[in-house]
Amino acid sequence: MRKARLFMALFAAKILVFIIKILGRGKGTALPGRVALKIYPGLISDLSSRIGKGVIVVTGTNGKTTTNNMIARILEAGGCRVLINREGANLITGIATAFAREMDFLNSRAFDYACLEVDEAAFPGVASRVRPRCVVITNFFRDQLDRYGELDRTIALVRNALKEMEGIRLVLNADDPLVAQMGRSTGLQSVFYGVAEHGGVTSQGAAAREAKFCPFCGHELAYRYYQYSQLGAYGCPGCGFSRPDPDVEGTSPRRGGSFTQCRVRFRQGSSVSLEVPVYGMYNLYNALAAYSTALLLDMDPQRAAVFLKGYRPATGRMERFDYRGKQVYLNLVKNPTGFNEGIGALVEMSDGGLDVMIAINDNDADGRDISWLWDVDFEILADCQDRINFVCSGLRAEEMALRLKYAGIQEFRLMVESDFNEAVSRVLNGGAGKACILSTYTALWPVERILSGYANRDQTPAEYLPHVS
Amino acid sequence: MPIGIRPRLNICHMYPDLLNLYGDRGNIMAYRMRCLWREIEVTIHQVNIGDSVDFERMDFIFLGGGSDREQNLMAADLVEKSGALQAAIEDGVPLLAICGGYQLLGKYYKTLAGDVIPGLGLLDLYTEGGETRLIGNVAVEVDLGGVTQRITGFENHSGRTHLGRLDPLGKVLAGHGNNGRDGMEGARYKNVICSYLHGPMLPKNPFITDYLIACAVKRKWSIPLKPLNDSIEMSATNVMLKRLLGN
Ligand SMILES: [Zn+2]
Repeated sequence: MRKARLFMALFAAKILVFIIKILGRGKGTALPGRVALKIYPGLISDLSSRIGKGVIVVTGTNGKTTTNNMIARILEAGGCRVLINREGANLITGIATAFAREMDFLNSRAFDYACLEVDEAAFPGVASRVRPRCVVITNFFRDQLDRYGELDRTIALVRNALKEMEGIRLVLNADDPLVAQMGRSTGLQSVFYGVAEHGGVTSQGAAAREAKFCPFCGHELAYRYYQYSQLGAYGCPGCGFSRPDPDVEGTSPRRGGSFTQCRVRFRQGSSVSLEVPVYGMYNLYNALAAYSTALLLDMDPQRAAVFLKGYRPATGRMERFDYRGKQVYLNLVKNPTGFNEGIGALVEMSDGGLDVMIAINDNDADGRDISWLWDVDFEILADCQDRINFVCSGLRAEEMALRLKYAGIQEFRLMVESDFNEAVSRVLNGGAGKACILSTYTALWPVERILSGYANRDQTPAEYLPHVS
Repeated sequence: MPIGIRPRLNICHMYPDLLNLYGDRGNIMAYRMRCLWREIEVTIHQVNIGDSVDFERMDFIFLGGGSDREQNLMAADLVEKSGALQAAIEDGVPLLAICGGYQLLGKYYKTLAGDVIPGLGLLDLYTEGGETRLIGNVAVEVDLGGVTQRITGFENHSGRTHLGRLDPLGKVLAGHGNNGRDGMEGARYKNVICSYLHGPMLPKNPFITDYLIACAVKRKWSIPLKPLNDSIEMSATNVMLKRLLGN
């Protein structure tokens, strides 16, 4: 009976995946899984038990997709067969779709690992079904408040779910107190990663900092320095909770043309050079999370570093395109911290002039409340505005222009163009040497489709890159 | 106003470290920018827990909302300052209170479980907890200083606020407002404006911002406010009005 239901569920889901693909209706990631779960609620736990070496779950606010793809990249390059839920299908239905699409009734395709990025709010439900071998937590920032309520509640959800699980290993960001606390509060064995103090740290906390108080005793946390947002070297004067010594620590980070580099210290004194072909400190954190996971799974440290270098960003994660010799970057933005990271990258690449498009939608998946735009530090752009032209687009294009106006951007630099096609063509044909498109979730897919119609996706094969020194 | 010296306004931002939900700091940004564009200088005084403040010296006070824990911390501190705050309000100091700050100025908040949390009791209003959160875009018709305008914002609150002998800020055209029942949004008393509208409220609705600036300016000098070009503001508001009201 159970087998018949599993068969039916897989059959229905596969047909739906096929139909959605033919109709070209969006990404169609939720519906097949939803139907399959209706037919057979045990689908995910049944199929995940077939994964040979175990399931790896990545959760947290920002960097889930990138970290998960990096882990999968390392494992695949190392010769493993990996099942992955791609492109943000990170609710229970999306994960059911991924399993149903990739696996069949006869189990003819044996997978070594499943790498799943899981939405924080969906984490308890998914984790209890897939029984992960290891859980990676990237960071906790405020995200789409109208959907989740408060950040504290989200963190408690994850913590309580972890407490129910035995024998799993955690990979935790040592620099984020909200994440690092999970080691002590769950009692689970944890590997900590972080970035050491370097020239770019600041002694000033950001205005929209999330973690001001100790998660254990409520005392205000004291910081020696900040990396960004609430990430940094913190300690609690009340109970002594402090940044754990990282097991895997990035030192002297450096930015190259289109890559980020650092040394990595691990296992008492070993050290390797790590390079990832993406922009920004936040991506270095993602790389360190992935690298720590690889070490935890007993990958060879040198080989893991080489494989990571061959990682290619997923759609909208500072993905690079080429339009008649002009570099065009596409980046997803969904909360203030992620947007600030994107703005940091804008400032870095604005030297030779920059055409910027910002696409803001307010559909359910974007968050219907766009007040969070006021927690983003657009004011930083005012200082380099003479090198930047702005095109605001999407359902709330006018509101985005309004935000930039109050950040001190002069009105003649602001163009409102709700139509995506017009807006994309304006930034591509703008006079600057580079272009960058920042987009919320539901605007990302239409914009990506238009962009890839005009411009070539940058696909330098990993093999052509020089080897790690 | 002596010739050659620029006028200066003192802005009081209450508990910016604690009350930073829903982009509320945008209200301070908008107030400041609209002063600077008119060559009025501003000094922003950030008041955090334990800081002392001279409300009578302030030209504009902003009180936002926070999550429950943060709001409790702030309420305990504000109780100690409530006498001075009341004097400033009675004296006509302009104040904007949003969401949690709005509720706190009233008499009490009665939770769903029946617990009564006393407020500062500065305004004749009370709030009761509701089963559901009232969330979504809002349009409100507001009369201020003899002008009627439609404003927009985003609300997200579970408390239902009821007014005693107080004027509402405006009439709900779309959305829930104070309690989802009586069609009223916000409250007014002297130069105090209370509202559930995030968005944030002031950047999106320059008409309210200018009213608050004009109140402050009028108390000190007799200079008129220079009009500004608000075409971006207007088009942002009109997009939302069209979506909510269809015209
Ligand atoms: Zn503590």
